Amino acid sequence: MRAVVFDGIVLGLQFGLLGVGLTLVYGLGGVLNLAHGQIAVLGAIVTALRIDAGTPTVLAVLIGLAAAGAVALLLDVTLLVPVFRRTGESRVLLGLLLMLGVGFIIEGVLGWRYPIEALSLRIGGGPIDVLGVAMRSGALLASAIALGAAAGLVVFFRFTAFGKAVRSVIQDETGAQLCGVSPATVRAVVLTLSGVLAALVAVTRSMTGPVNVHAGVDLTILALIVAVVGGLGSVAGAFAAGVLLGIVNTISAHFIGSYITTIVLLGAAAVTIVARPAGLLGKGRE
Amino acid sequence: MDGARRASRIRHTGLRGPGTPGLARAYAPIVIAGALAALLPLRYGDSRTMMGVIVGGALFAAYAIGFNVIFGSTGQLFLCVGALAGVGGYSSALLSDRAGLPLLVAIPLACLIAAGVGGLLSWIAVSRSLGVIFTGIVTLAFSLAFHNLLLGRRDLTRGETGLTIDAGEDTILGDLVPPYYVLLGVVVIYLVVYRGLQRSRTGWAFRALRDDEVAAELTGVDVKRYRVLAGLAGSAMIGLAGALYAHSEGFISPTTYEFGHVDVSVLVMLAFGGLGSLLGPVIGAGVFTILDEWLVWSNEYRLMIYGAVVVALFLGLPRGVAPTVVSLVKRRRERDRGESNVSGKRASR
Amino acid sequence: MLEVTELCAGYLGHDVVHDVGFRVGDGEVVAIIGSNGAGKTTVFRAVAGLLRGRGTVTFGGEAIGGCKAHEVARRGLAFVPADRHLFPQMSVGENLDLGAYPMRPDRDRRQLVFDLFPRLAERERQAAGTMSGGEQQMLTVGRALMSHPRLVMLDEPTTGLAPKLAAEAYAALGRLRDHGLTIVVAEQQVPLALGLADRGYVLEDGRVQLAGTSAELAGNPDVQRAYLGVA
Repeated sequence: MRAVVFDGIVLGLQFGLLGVGLTLVYGLGGVLNLAHGQIAVLGAIVTALRIDAGTPTVLAVLIGLAAAGAVALLLDVTLLVPVFRRTGESRVLLGLLLMLGVGFIIEGVLGWRYPIEALSLRIGGGPIDVLGVAMRSGALLASAIALGAAAGLVVFFRFTAFGKAVRSVIQDETGAQLCGVSPATVRAVVLTLSGVLAALVAVTRSMTGPVNVHAGVDLTILALIVAVVGGLGSVAGAFAAGVLLGIVNTISAHFIGSYITTIVLLGAAAVTIVARPAGLLGKGRE
Repeated sequence: MDGARRASRIRHTGLRGPGTPGLARAYAPIVIAGALAALLPLRYGDSRTMMGVIVGGALFAAYAIGFNVIFGSTGQLFLCVGALAGVGGYSSALLSDRAGLPLLVAIPLACLIAAGVGGLLSWIAVSRSLGVIFTGIVTLAFSLAFHNLLLGRRDLTRGETGLTIDAGEDTILGDLVPPYYVLLGVVVIYLVVYRGLQRSRTGWAFRALRDDEVAAELTGVDVKRYRVLAGLAGSAMIGLAGALYAHSEGFISPTTYEFGHVDVSVLVMLAFGGLGSLLGPVIGAGVFTILDEWLVWSNEYRLMIYGAVVVALFLGLPRGVAPTVVSLVKRRRERDRGESNVSGKRASR
Repeated sequence: MLEVTELCAGYLGHDVVHDVGFRVGDGEVVAIIGSNGAGKTTVFRAVAGLLRGRGTVTFGGEAIGGCKAHEVARRGLAFVPADRHLFPQMSVGENLDLGAYPMRPDRDRRQLVFDLFPRLAERERQAAGTMSGGEQQMLTVGRALMSHPRLVMLDEPTTGLAPKLAAEAYAALGRLRDHGLTIVVAEQQVPLALGLADRGYVLEDGRVQLAGTSAELAGNPDVQRAYLGVA
């Protein structure tokens, strides 16, 4: 049982990281990035291509992360401009539909040009004992990275001036403007960050199993569920929800079955929306 | 603007009582479109493949009209069209094959079940005041959960391998050409219903609440009731189509009704044809059925093109290609006639 | 310092404010008085860059008409809106620090704010969303001061404040004026505003109806009847 829970935590930390990128972008401006998973996969595939070309792994990963971030930034300065010009439900709807389309385009292009490409990072070293449970080194590294990223985000949001500026835009965009914060700049940075985080998740996932070009949709849905349960717009909520759902996932998959597990996770999101839309820690933005 | 001003603006937005501009003129497009579509089997009636294609076209037109009622008319983003069709399809299959009910009972029953599910989703969205995003997420979650349910309950649905349906094989649905006419007939009925709705008080209420919800409430439109109504009606349309298709094909699987196959197409079709328009779903279905045949050799191409179409359409032509073209043509004609009326009224519905 | 000419602005294509013009000199306190719906908020929002308007707005000699809100703020024109727009999940201290953005928060400035509003000092770590209306109002003013603005626009700063608190608020504004701060304040509570201001403008139906020194306005019989409760 302990092994299952530990596996759940490992998975959950990645879930959390996945949800954070999505929740940040939504919290900023009401745009639901339905291409999140596809951007993650894009980063992974770029990494895989670079590794195939002989680039050392760490550098390849950094290039992949940068690529994902760049794509996200590109979207911010092009397609999302008309989206942010609108307000309220009009913005939400347009953003959602546009990003849905972008997700298709990215997946289509990747699948067309690199149909058999996949990222799989083999982490050497035998299993390591953690509190009596033998954990794969890949899983542990993935968790460490996720935790490191989480810590980095905490420091960024609580202690840096720009991080506080981002939080201010999320909490009250007009108030932020009156304080001299440029929402457009904040959005550009956060969007790039969300792309990098997404790709980071794909990379850590590849440490425990291959990530292929079609994994995007599943990742997007997962990110969506985690972000919703944690409360759209709450970074801490996304992590909390991630770990919780990760444990639920592994327990359910272990004892019941994979189809039910998916239904349970989807149900968690639906129930959250219906019963407590603010999610675990959200600020009730809707 | 304050409430009273908004309310009075709504009252004057195109209120057309029943009986205004010609009954014949209103329904003529449907008759013409239906007649033209009815001619297709004359050309393709021999080819099993081609019949499959145009049956698919009619099917998606039906789906799209149902979605148009739900989303186009009342702004509820239901990302579960495929799932609702699947509810209709699998319910009918199980009710007729497993429970032994005659087709004439099973199909309407399946339609009611789908309507019930859709109505329930609407009711939940409405009573919890879920906005567009949350409605979209909840319906998407339902769609995916239903898909997994189909895969998981192999005892009932044969899971991934799919379900062969015997009921209906010996009726007209089992032949090659008649299913097309059945579905076409259904599409025509849906169009008539849609047009009837548009010209009725209900249609006016739909337009009002889509335009400005608060003002609509102020003029006495019970937004909740109309949304649930639209949810029920649209879902019934989708479910019935799904059920009819199931019996005419004789085989369904979770892929038949999955999001990537159904919802994506319906969204694109409607975006192209024009949300909230009468023939938009039909035009969109026609165009993209043809396009799909072209692209059948590459799934990735299809995905890329659909994605690009979605982006381009929602960015550039939010009202859809068809209505934009129609209004351009109209303005040209008005200019030619020498009229200086450039008030740009809505494209003819 | 601030000069507005022929300002027209509104919502959804419909102008609410027509040909509004006013001047604010260095170190002055100017009051804009008018009843509910007169257009005071619209004028301020247009000047602050939150609303697109037509006309000319010059601040410190530079045209800021087309500037975005954050640019206007960075140039030293601070706006304290009626609906506050605080950051509810951040503490008083964090709200104040953001007021100074993009500069580092100035210790001395912070102390000045706490001196003016001792209640805020007591609640430095408290989340802004949990404070009372009056305290939030004080915080909004304090936040605006953190950026060392040259001019502060306040939109009905006494809304929802008990008379005692309202008087305290105006006393604080008076002290700021003595520090050399230029102030423009929109008010429905006319006596308080005219008591502090050097000059004033009367705004009704989106247009400037009257202008003059506060003494002149206070003595004007129409003003007395409409806003000072004198029959």
